[in-house]
Amino acid sequence: MRAAIVWTILRREWSETVRNRLLMSTILVPPMILTIAPIALSGFVGNRSLPPQFAEQILGQRPDWAVFSRTELAGAFTVQQFLAFFLLMPAYIPLSIATFSIIGEKQARSLEPVLAAPIRTAELLAGKAVAALVPGIAAGWATYLAFVSLATLVYGPHLLQVVTDPSWLAGVLVLGPAVGLSSVVAAVIVSSRVNDPRVAQQIGGVIIVPIIGVTLLQATGTLLVGASGYLLLATIVLVVSLVGLRIGVALFDREAILTRWR
Amino acid sequence: MLRATGLGRRFGDLWAIRHVDLEVHRGEVLGLLGPNGAGKTTTVRLLAALIEPTEGSASVDGLDVVRQPDEVRARVGILTETPGLYEKLSAAANLDFFGRLYGLDATTRAERIERYLRLFSLWERRDDPAGGFSKGMKQKLAIARALLHEPSVVFLDEPTAALDPEAAWIVREAIEAIRRSGRTIVLATHNLYEADRLCDRVAFVRGGLLRVDSPADLRESLGERGVEVEFGEVPGPAVVAAVHRVDGISAAELVDHRLVVKAPDPRAVTPALVRALVAAGSDIVEVRERATSLEQIYFEVMGVRPDADEAA
Repeated sequence: MRAAIVWTILRREWSETVRNRLLMSTILVPPMILTIAPIALSGFVGNRSLPPQFAEQILGQRPDWAVFSRTELAGAFTVQQFLAFFLLMPAYIPLSIATFSIIGEKQARSLEPVLAAPIRTAELLAGKAVAALVPGIAAGWATYLAFVSLATLVYGPHLLQVVTDPSWLAGVLVLGPAVGLSSVVAAVIVSSRVNDPRVAQQIGGVIIVPIIGVTLLQATGTLLVGASGYLLLATIVLVVSLVGLRIGVALFDREAILTRWR
Repeated sequence: MLRATGLGRRFGDLWAIRHVDLEVHRGEVLGLLGPNGAGKTTTVRLLAALIEPTEGSASVDGLDVVRQPDEVRARVGILTETPGLYEKLSAAANLDFFGRLYGLDATTRAERIERYLRLFSLWERRDDPAGGFSKGMKQKLAIARALLHEPSVVFLDEPTAALDPEAAWIVREAIEAIRRSGRTIVLATHNLYEADRLCDRVAFVRGGLLRVDSPADLRESLGERGVEVEFGEVPGPAVVAAVHRVDGISAAELVDHRLVVKAPDPRAVTPALVRALVAAGSDIVEVRERATSLEQIYFEVMGVRPDADEAA
């Protein structure tokens, strides 16, 4: 695989992405909301404080939070619920970019001239996959950094401990990108079979629902396994994604694109 | 040089094209003529190493399309049925992207982008998104894209389909320019006028190659040759009788104001024919050699004859 060709594909993908207002709005608006909403919500809840019985229940699950004041505890509990959303970001952004990219090329019939060039299908697919994956991961990490900074500013260093504990770091830094890859794979598979980006996103969304479901169970405490649990989950998602990638590459076959994609 | 031997491609149980034996020489323009679904696009894709043959072999400049597909693709340029441009990118950005895919360095890319955009009168619009171009401009940009890496063989698949007459004229002029540059061109088209005007040889395609020849040789072997004379007044029977006495004429038929004469060597019989008609007192307005159209030859080779009633 030639890096220069992959980079050329990636640059072209990004050039088109930044010119697509609809796509850019779906990429940029949710991270902004996700940065501000948890802080605003936790501020709202925190100011009102938690009922003593509920506070005891939380401390039963998280004894390490006993050092927090009632207000800090409310804030910590609220922001903890948002971990799942930081995992959703690297899932839906690549899904949007990849489906628009592949189906957009199908509709414009622009892949045939590309495939007529001395380029390998794997290089084309790698360029598209990375171009879709990187913004999702970058948005997830950037939003997380902004979130951590704001949380620290608003609630002080105690809350910083909550959002930078190993489970958060494993979730955002490892599980997030793995979920992103699964999303790209879903987009490649679905986009090779449908001709409408919205349909592809909906079907792609269904495919990643089990991953999101498990992630949600983690985040809500139903299936609390900590950082090691996230790492294990990331490994499973990665393996499933790689199997899916093989299917995706097969569906992305040069001849199939030229003769069957309409 | 382009060569195919026993080339064929099957999709499922259906052979799109079979038994293609073909040689196209450097600088030659070959037209692929045939109805929809005849296998023209499949032939182009096989020869351009876009899809693999089910049987037979093909090569470009001695490079095998199956064993050396990347090398073949680097030597061919293709204009696909639709321009397939990146519409949000500018004309220059579209070409720059393909220049990079073909491994051209920055200086070469810049020089060729300017050269081809100027050649096709698109230089002033180089920074405009391709999506805002007219159909003709898009097609010209797609042709520039196909030429950017200076391929030795250029495949043009329906280059003027769905274009208005002005845009089609512009594209045909562009093809003439490629032809003058000495490149081999394979032109798949429905447009028989275009094929007649641009091609050195034409290949009639319908599931295979039915016949490959130059338009002149096809007319020689398949067309009816003769002279057509137009009169000011409808001539009398004496005029027709006078025509039959001229040597070298095999048949003559009067259709209203026109006399249609069949003769194997029209140029040789014309002087004697005109003298005989004037002597018989006819009022000649125009005399012209009858040329069989490529359309007539097409129907002859394809073995079809459109039903005039159906057309009406």
